[in-house]
Amino acid sequence: MTAKGLAKAKEIYAKRDLRVRELNAQGKKIMGYVCAYPTLEMVTAMDYVPFKILGSMDEPITKADTQVPTIICPMLRSMLDLGMKGKVDFIEGFIGAHTCDCTEKFCHLYQYNMEFPYYHFLDVPHIAHEASFGFLKSGMQLLQKTLEKHTGKKIDTDRLKEEIKKHNALRALVRELYGLRKQDPPLLSGSENLQIMLALMAMPIEEGSEMVRDIIAEVKERKVGRPVKKAGRLLLWGSPLTETSIVEMIESLNDNVVMDDICTGTRHFWPDVEITPDPLDGLAKRYLNDLKCPRTFRETTASFEEDQEARFGYIRDYAKDWNVNGIILQSMKYCDTHGYEVPAIKAYFDRIGIPAMYLEHEYTMVALAPLKTRVEAFLEMIV
Amino acid sequence: MFCAGIDIGSTMTKAVVMGDELVAQVIGPTGAEHRHLANKVMEEALKRAGIPFDDVACIIATGYGRINVPFADKQITEITCHARGVAYLFPTVKTIIDIGGQDAKGIKIAGGRVVNFVMNDKCAAGTGRFLEVIAEALGLKLNEIGELSVRAASKAKISNTCTIFAEQEVVSRIAEGIPIEDILAGLHEAIASRVFRMAEKIKIERDMVLTGGVAKNIGMVKAFEDLLGYPPLIPEEPLLTGAIGAALLGCELVKKARDKGEAFERGERRLEAAKFFQ
Amino acid sequence: MAEEKKKRAITRLESSALVRPLVNKMYMEGAAAGMEGRPVAWSMVNWWEGDIIMRAMDVTPVYPENYGTVCASDGIAQKYLGVSAAEGFPTHLCGYAQNTLGYSTEMKKAGQVPEGAPMGGMAKPTFMLCSEGFCDARYKWFQSLRQFWNVPVWTLPFPHPAYADLSLQDVHKVNVEYMAVELKGFIEFLEKLLGKKLDRDKLKMMLDNQEKVFKVWWDINELRKARPGPMHARDFWTMMVPCYYLAYDPETLAVYQQVYNEVKTRVEAGISAVPEEKYRLIFSELPPWHSLGFFDKLAERGWNFVTESPGYHPPPPMELNGGGDLLQRIARWTYWSYVNTGYRAAKMGYPTVGGAQPYYNWALEYKIDGILTHPLVTCRTATFWLTHSMNVLRDKLDIPGMSIQGDIVDLTVFDAATALNQAPAFEESMEHFRQVRKSKGLDW
Repeated sequence: MTAKGLAKAKEIYAKRDLRVRELNAQGKKIMGYVCAYPTLEMVTAMDYVPFKILGSMDEPITKADTQVPTIICPMLRSMLDLGMKGKVDFIEGFIGAHTCDCTEKFCHLYQYNMEFPYYHFLDVPHIAHEASFGFLKSGMQLLQKTLEKHTGKKIDTDRLKEEIKKHNALRALVRELYGLRKQDPPLLSGSENLQIMLALMAMPIEEGSEMVRDIIAEVKERKVGRPVKKAGRLLLWGSPLTETSIVEMIESLNDNVVMDDICTGTRHFWPDVEITPDPLDGLAKRYLNDLKCPRTFRETTASFEEDQEARFGYIRDYAKDWNVNGIILQSMKYCDTHGYEVPAIKAYFDRIGIPAMYLEHEYTMVALAPLKTRVEAFLEMIV
Repeated sequence: MFCAGIDIGSTMTKAVVMGDELVAQVIGPTGAEHRHLANKVMEEALKRAGIPFDDVACIIATGYGRINVPFADKQITEITCHARGVAYLFPTVKTIIDIGGQDAKGIKIAGGRVVNFVMNDKCAAGTGRFLEVIAEALGLKLNEIGELSVRAASKAKISNTCTIFAEQEVVSRIAEGIPIEDILAGLHEAIASRVFRMAEKIKIERDMVLTGGVAKNIGMVKAFEDLLGYPPLIPEEPLLTGAIGAALLGCELVKKARDKGEAFERGERRLEAAKFFQ
Repeated sequence: MAEEKKKRAITRLESSALVRPLVNKMYMEGAAAGMEGRPVAWSMVNWWEGDIIMRAMDVTPVYPENYGTVCASDGIAQKYLGVSAAEGFPTHLCGYAQNTLGYSTEMKKAGQVPEGAPMGGMAKPTFMLCSEGFCDARYKWFQSLRQFWNVPVWTLPFPHPAYADLSLQDVHKVNVEYMAVELKGFIEFLEKLLGKKLDRDKLKMMLDNQEKVFKVWWDINELRKARPGPMHARDFWTMMVPCYYLAYDPETLAVYQQVYNEVKTRVEAGISAVPEEKYRLIFSELPPWHSLGFFDKLAERGWNFVTESPGYHPPPPMELNGGGDLLQRIARWTYWSYVNTGYRAAKMGYPTVGGAQPYYNWALEYKIDGILTHPLVTCRTATFWLTHSMNVLRDKLDIPGMSIQGDIVDLTVFDAATALNQAPAFEESMEHFRQVRKSKGLDW
């Protein structure tokens, strides 16, 4: 692969297995993982290239219905379907996690069908109490054990700390990249940003850092291809997006998507890991507490308003820092984790005076016209 | 100053020309997929107004077919346009319920502006389409069924929520000997309550205006009255509110530009057939 | 039309009638506590983890999940679902959750139990207790209720270890210890909220009773392995409620002991729950509560539902190591109720089949001819594994499956007539696979 910067990101976005197949052919081993919770630092410490298993909004589901009913998360159905069609035959195995209901069950079903040589399931608690971090830590210790058993290698504390530093370096660069959208107009579009994030989830960590460094320089320099100034500066919240179609649809109107809180965006990269004497302590805290996702039950406090603040305050901070004037809440049909949030999060933004609207979609690339009308009407309302 | 609004629906196109008040109005067929008759409707409206095409200060397109209209300067969604049009006709309006052939909308207004909205464009059972399907199944005209329904002695319950299955259900109820008026009353209630439930998401407040083709149906108006506990307000010509709103919004845009000392930037303005959907 | 009473196809257990007063008592308790201003907690089924502690502190649990079935049968659920949708909750969410959210909206508006609410409604909660166990709705829904009730929500821990870990006793130890630490926190929370101390002796007594209830209820269900099956699923569903919600109560133990005697007698006398047991079936997941007469029609054809989805069953006798610490004992039972199927399968050398494990285990042990699955439109958790389970039973044990769609609160989804039309075809299937199993040397 010779492309660099944005061109590289676009190539890998268009063909997600491009880089990992290349590496695999060179003898590198690829480890799949599901969702943002598997401990990637451990994966790379074992010299695997991590590959996030995702669905495709584009590929029609033809095989998965023999295994699961249609009323489950469409992205997971797609992931199962793609697996059954042999699209991830380059991974040696995968790490699943108890993130949401359907993901948990998907992981076991996926392994039953795919029979990878390696499969580990990380049981992540929904509660984030002090004892819960210790519990997740013990789960990570178990993950370490099975990885060591499978590879015949051992990882020590120093190696793990090194990996944490590398992953944190990528996270810092991603935050820097997002920072370039604080300006008006932003230096890159929401659509381009999503392509870059998805590409990062399909390549080695250090290579990803290099690519982001290149992209930061590139978008600062370029004269052609910059987003234009538009009235709407939107934040996109919700379930994972694996293709840019919905973001493109939104950005075809009088707005730029300047920030996000989605699984294939800031949620995956945002918080750093604090390097603690036993690195697993810092890892457990980062993945369970600092990673913000509605699947984690935040402590409820004295009032509903405080509850909302604990759950959504960080999004308000994003909105302030990125000068956002409208929020698009989106989730796919059958997603319960995000579905339950909608009234509370909408009420929160109504209360603090940031307009928000909710779009439910079916995780496809087609039939976006009705969604477009809603976004268009929303923009006419707020600007 | 004259402005024009054109509301290109899936079957019917509505065009108005407005000066200080409504100067011309035309309703004509859209011309199916490529909207090749929409510009004819525009031409007719201009003819009736007696105003040359170039003299129109601003032309706004709205509706299902608003995209890539060569003779419009801008497009604005039917949500914003309906709201503006209804607010012009009924300044006290707070809630609009619009039921078209293909969709249904609920729009909340405060200070003359849209503050919230909700739409159903996925399921035919809460739209005018439901009425069409049943009317056809019963061999009746669409404009007959409303009148028949208000003569019902009691409403028959239509249990099926899906248009297709409801059609079958209606046919079997007829065979059972249930009076057609009762069945139609039940049908109208079924549609009204679906739309009502959707509109409740934006909290229905008075004054409430009912628009769209379905507002001409006396059976629907009664069904809504039964649900609301009061009669909804109906515009004289419920099909035109979108086009009126579009024209008014156009005038606003021109005024806004003038107040800033600028000229309103027109579009390409080719009075020819609209070509493709994007 | 007929003057004479139609003979019921399923011979119900006489002792099942003893359950009704217990269930009524439960509802009355909730209403009374609310009216008398005593602490009431809205709770979810938490598999014996939290309710026993609350009860020991004189908090009366009220179960919105259960109330959902009451509202569904009453017919008012449709209204509450509409209210929930108007509040902006997506309509694919758990039907019980939507029902509760709609009910709560109405109750908040009215300032009291809303008009038309069946069985006296649900009293305003002092706090809400949910669990991480089994499904996400269990905690997300209660978190959403915060919008209506300005009261604390406490979530109980419930690890879901991967099936592969199940043979490791030290994994169990860590899980149970973690749960016990959280239970300590739960007790501190309750003591602070209620201004009183937990009576540990009372709790221990309740736990002792609960363990006895598990044992007898488990033994009763083991008796159903007999051929012909002495107890139909309809009796199970009637009788599962006391164990679920009132396992600490000595009255429950007394009732189950009577049930055990009756079932034992039937087994000894070879009495079948249906006139002529032709087919032994498992029913998977929540039954169509409103259409249970459907099973009588099937019983007339010789279909005997000899067991049902294990999620509602008590845990088997304990096989995990661990000490007598009270909180760890409580946690261990909850945990065991989740891991026992995988653990026992590994012990017996059964193949690992993911979420189909419980059905595999029991299909073998109860000698099943067919599985009837009931996918539920608003319950992803109960529906996810059904396709796979039917596949596994067919592929690994040559047992066919049939599926009828339904929902937990939208009663119009379930179509009994269509399902009954399919019965003869499924019987042919079951006959065919019986031959296949015979040819492979299996004994049923």
